[in-house]
Amino acid sequence: MTAPSEAWAPQTAIGVQDAVREAIATRAAIRIAGGGSWLDAGRPVAPDARVLRLDTLRGITQYTPGDLTLTARAGTPLREIAEATAAEGQWLALDAFATSDDGGSIGATIATASAGPLAYALGLPRDIALGVEVVTGDGEIIRAGGRVVKNVAGYDLTRLMTGAWGTLGVITEVSVRLRARPEVDRTLALARAGPAESAADVAAGLRTAAMAPLAAELLNPALAARLGVTATGSPVLLLRLGGNAERVASEQMEAGKLGDGAVIDTDVWRALRQCERYSPGAVVVRWSQLPSLVANTWRHAVECCAGSPEALIHASLERGVVRAIIPAADTAALARVLHPEDRPSGGPVFVGRRIAERLPARLWSAEPAPGTTDRLARRVRMAFDPWHVLNPGILGEGARDAADRHGGSP
Amino acid sequence: MPAPALAAAGGQAGGVTPGAGSDPSPPIDAASLARALEAVVGPRGVLRRRSELAVYTADGLPGYRKFPSLAVFPANRAQLIDVVLVLAEHGAPFVPRGAGTGLSGGALADDVVLVGLNRLHRVLSLDPENAVAVVEPGVVNAALTRAAAPFGLYYAPDPSSQAACTIGGNVAENAGGPHCLKYGVTLNHVLGVTAVLSDGEVVTLGPGASGAESAGYDLLGAFVGSEGCFGVALDVTVKLTRAPQAVRTLLADFMSMDDAARATSAIIACGILPAALEMMDGPTIRAVEASIYAAGYPADAEAVLLAEVDGLAAGLDTDAGTIARICTAHGARTVRIASDPADRARLWQGRKKAFGAMGRVSSHLVVQDAVIPRTQLPAVLARIRDIATRHRVTVCNVFHAGDGNLHPNIGYNAYDADESARVDLAMREIMRICVDAGGTITGEHGVGLDKIGYMELIFSPSSLAAQCRLREVFDPERRMNPGKVVPVHSCREWSRRPS
Repeated sequence: MTAPSEAWAPQTAIGVQDAVREAIATRAAIRIAGGGSWLDAGRPVAPDARVLRLDTLRGITQYTPGDLTLTARAGTPLREIAEATAAEGQWLALDAFATSDDGGSIGATIATASAGPLAYALGLPRDIALGVEVVTGDGEIIRAGGRVVKNVAGYDLTRLMTGAWGTLGVITEVSVRLRARPEVDRTLALARAGPAESAADVAAGLRTAAMAPLAAELLNPALAARLGVTATGSPVLLLRLGGNAERVASEQMEAGKLGDGAVIDTDVWRALRQCERYSPGAVVVRWSQLPSLVANTWRHAVECCAGSPEALIHASLERGVVRAIIPAADTAALARVLHPEDRPSGGPVFVGRRIAERLPARLWSAEPAPGTTDRLARRVRMAFDPWHVLNPGILGEGARDAADRHGGSP
Repeated sequence: MPAPALAAAGGQAGGVTPGAGSDPSPPIDAASLARALEAVVGPRGVLRRRSELAVYTADGLPGYRKFPSLAVFPANRAQLIDVVLVLAEHGAPFVPRGAGTGLSGGALADDVVLVGLNRLHRVLSLDPENAVAVVEPGVVNAALTRAAAPFGLYYAPDPSSQAACTIGGNVAENAGGPHCLKYGVTLNHVLGVTAVLSDGEVVTLGPGASGAESAGYDLLGAFVGSEGCFGVALDVTVKLTRAPQAVRTLLADFMSMDDAARATSAIIACGILPAALEMMDGPTIRAVEASIYAAGYPADAEAVLLAEVDGLAAGLDTDAGTIARICTAHGARTVRIASDPADRARLWQGRKKAFGAMGRVSSHLVVQDAVIPRTQLPAVLARIRDIATRHRVTVCNVFHAGDGNLHPNIGYNAYDADESARVDLAMREIMRICVDAGGTITGEHGVGLDKIGYMELIFSPSSLAAQCRLREVFDPERRMNPGKVVPVHSCREWSRRPS
């Protein structure tokens, strides 16, 4: 691990540029750290990497409420943005899962394309980012996109940088689209009588119900109990309804068809975002396939976690994404998650994608690294980080790439 | 320091040196190319005569006329891939073209091959439960909505040309439309693209119809809006949207543009996200009302605001009422709420056909497309008025007020050199003030040929060079849609940079 004294802590984009240029000159690897809350998650970066801190690069640089857009330096915590926008009756609808109190930094949220329960209704990071300032891996400061809500000028480097985990450039500033807060923002907790398989009914019910919730998240009993929303031992559906009073009242009536509900404090969403905290050191994975198959995905997750009573499972039903937080000690559950093909029982086949968010370091090497090995992806990396100085290894790219950095010309 | 070579990422077809795009290419044997293409698509699928090519010398942008060297029309996916392979073998630059409704000159082929995609017009699959469709690039935008309608679904992005424009073209331009205010632009509705790259390689971008989350770089996001420079779509997977339970359309008329602009800001700030919020100024209103598209707008008004809210029926009238009150409070003379679908369609017709209505007024029309921060609307509209007066031109404003996407347009006679010059000057000044107000040079029409001269207004040389780099990842020889989007010298500078 790099000693803190060796970390770069730039105050400006030019400071970031200096760091990247120094890294290129000395063939050093850079480990980009926003708020630092992701450092222990994700794939290990080359062990000799030097940390580039971005928490020193913070602050909202432009916010005109009437434009419903905001620009902030990369290290700005989401909580700071939430406070500034709440004062104007607005919000940034990025609610990625994060362990830190401050919600993580805007730069890291965009760089990792992390999404939370609001994503189905209000968009993924790729839908919300309007523009970025980036220091590319060859040490150039570039800008992409802009500060306006509609923009097709030039090739879309904003989308390219969103979700690239810093491997194409260090994001130094981000412009985002904001939304006006709904007049009423109400959360319901619906207890689902019956077995966990009821995910199928919930999902089907949601599709046909006369409602368009801001979020619809199914919780397994363990997570529901942790969040204090029920103690009945059944799964719980959290519904977030927004709009004018009349609309929300109507949706609330409609929600009654999906289960017995109670209005609860909207703060539950903050607790859900941080639910990894209930299980320090846990393994975090998520599965996704077609939304119409979300009940199968849910069952797959539940079966994998059988025998792990502390495993926390939740699903963004409309996106078809199921996420699980599994205590590292529950090795049997972990083995089933990572090697479902070894599973004895013949449940529904899961044919979608499993993405690991947090794994013990030793397990990362066996994880597939989708989307990093094909020709186009390798060429993108070569075009923007030709010396592989930026977060080398974080996408699971092979030993060859690391050799490129040290050995010079590929 | 060793120069990074793109080729290291895995061999290139044709042995071309990546990044060396400034080298003159050897002359192309046109006759041999035409024969090879005819072998793929048949003799009737290749047009070579000037009289036949004349149809393909323009798109929706006036003032440009470019003859392709030849035009080829593959009938299906396999033929399209083979056409691209033949073009690669010949080192021939080419321009993909959908319906040719674009407004930036992006589909013009200047003495290069034009690849017409309108024969690939099948909806390949439609999954109502997951609200996803897979279509060929030549499927017409409105035809997709018609195919989805029986399932209570529709395709949300609705450019005004939707009756003719194709999904492939929409993807290339990242097309918008009035309802993008609430529903987002093409980017937000495309889940996947299978594309053939200029060297003939077929790639799959995005999760497509699998429904799984994406992993790796968002190359789909980069592809959408790449204006035909990155690849040709073989199929496009799009998200469909559930038809709203109810819709309310309002028309408010104002005696000043300023009032209408301020009403727009107030509506956006109040917490309601309208499905659309469109503005038309006095000259536009009068052109529409004098045309066959007359929509019943008050002809003496200086501005009308067309607002639409949709979604769940519950509470929708309350939202419509709130918008009506805001308009009245900002000086609207009357606010009308369309009572039935026919009335709504009529109100919309005036907006969607506004450019057509201008045809009565002048022989030529130049449509600008700039975006400004929403709070700048009143100030920028006032400055546009000054510019128009100074250059003695009539600017009509018809635009997506809700997202600050302006479409100032000027009717003129292109055969009058003096008038044409004044129009050109006025348009340049308008663009400059939009950029100075913190805006951008195109919100939905694309850069194409028309806006390429403005790119350096908003991007630094290194930012433009980075765009070139991305382009060369997809098309190292820069054979696709040459001379569009990024000025060639920006790319040359990058190619020559010291390493």
